[in-house]
Amino acid sequence: MKLSRKKRRLWIVVLAGLGLGTATALTLTAFQDNLVFFLAPSEIAARNPGPERAFRLGGLVEAGSLVKNTTPDGRPEARFRVTDGPATVPVTYVGVLPDLFREGQGVVTLGKLSPDGEFRASEVLARHDETYMPPEVADALKRTGHWDPKEGAPPPAASWNTMQPAPVRQGS
Amino acid sequence: MRGVSTPAPSSPRPLAATAPRGGGGLHRFANPGRFLRLTDRLLPWLWALAVAVTGAGAAWALFFSPPDWQQGETVRIMYVHVPMAWLAMGGYAGLAVASLMSLIWRHPLADVAARELSPVGAMVTALCLATGSLWGRPMWGTWWAWDARMTSVLVLFFLWVGHAALVRAFDEEERGARAGAILALIGAINLPVIKWSVDWFNTLHQSASVTRISAPGMHVDMLYPLLVCALGFTLLFAALVLARVRAAVMEKRLRQMQLAQARRQEGAA
Amino acid sequence: MTQHWWHVAISWALAAAGFGIMAWLAASRHAAAKRRLALFGPRERRQG
Repeated sequence: MKLSRKKRRLWIVVLAGLGLGTATALTLTAFQDNLVFFLAPSEIAARNPGPERAFRLGGLVEAGSLVKNTTPDGRPEARFRVTDGPATVPVTYVGVLPDLFREGQGVVTLGKLSPDGEFRASEVLARHDETYMPPEVADALKRTGHWDPKEGAPPPAASWNTMQPAPVRQGS
Repeated sequence: MRGVSTPAPSSPRPLAATAPRGGGGLHRFANPGRFLRLTDRLLPWLWALAVAVTGAGAAWALFFSPPDWQQGETVRIMYVHVPMAWLAMGGYAGLAVASLMSLIWRHPLADVAARELSPVGAMVTALCLATGSLWGRPMWGTWWAWDARMTSVLVLFFLWVGHAALVRAFDEEERGARAGAILALIGAINLPVIKWSVDWFNTLHQSASVTRISAPGMHVDMLYPLLVCALGFTLLFAALVLARVRAAVMEKRLRQMQLAQARRQEGAA
Repeated sequence: MTQHWWHVAISWALAAAGFGIMAWLAASRHAAAKRRLALFGPRERRQG
């Protein structure tokens, strides 16, 4: 008698858990479009937010695309292109860029897409990738030609995460 | 101090040797006397070990680990932020297990553990959010963003606080424990959402660096101090929860003795 | 101290404060319960 009560409670919890899990999975799938923090350049054409609606554009800062100017009233201005591979969007931004903003790094910008296809950003956030490495290791990878940070993600972690570059290491 | 001077509730599930049979070997620990004797010897060692490991980890992380090639010295926030995130989620998994044991097997110590776990869990989740904010400002350029990762961790914080409040909201302790256990199990659905939010959705937050121990996207000179810090904070977390459970068991016994004394005096009068 | 180090220092100080306050709360709860249990005298010892 005691055992069966316990078993019944166990089954109730298992069934409730299954139901809740299914409901959550369905909800997340249904609202996935609303849960995105930013749109990638190649998603813009499909979604077509229009010139009036502010949205976030995210991707990598294209290598060699960053041009820094000063506006007539003396504020810093940056022009760069955001890419996700298949598509690229030019962006203009007036303001101070965050520390981590670099070519080849991820970025999320908030703004509006003007009819001429240029994205006018009012806010720029830098994204950080999931790699952590000491400066000497990054230098060694760059020096030996294994990685150009402007071109994007570093080589597979196993090739550098135990590297101890005291002297210049060639090859390997 | 909460709970010391509250009138004794007539708990139908006393923390005594009357634990139901058949719940597995874990009911051995339901004997409060044995629990208190065991932890009395264990706890000082646990505290000493926790403080030593955390201290060593902090020194390593702050002074003897390299800066990041991009983030510079700010990367040293990671050695607090990441262990707090792991503890916030791991602790909640522990809360869910305790809630299961409470709901299905009616284990008497599980309710006490859940009740004492949630304030500590709320604290580490708050620390995770606060250190993340302090890290995000110089690196991303913002204190906060409503992306899926940060929002789901904020929900986790509210679940912790909600559980802590709910189990204390009933006059009858058992009903509070039951309601809290149900809330904790419903909230457990949030754990996979947090874990995979950075993979399922576009987020400002980056993906996990330490996923497979074979090739974590982190240099070993940063990974090892991170693991030491994580171990240290986990030991601190465990010591804190154990100390709170110990105090709670003693408070419960105190209430039982006060009740017994009051009955004796009534009988004598 | 640069702004970056300030953020690092505040993060670690918050963690130390959080764990420190919680440890102090647990210790004072424990001490209060122990003191009040001791008032019941040797009978408490026998039960333990």
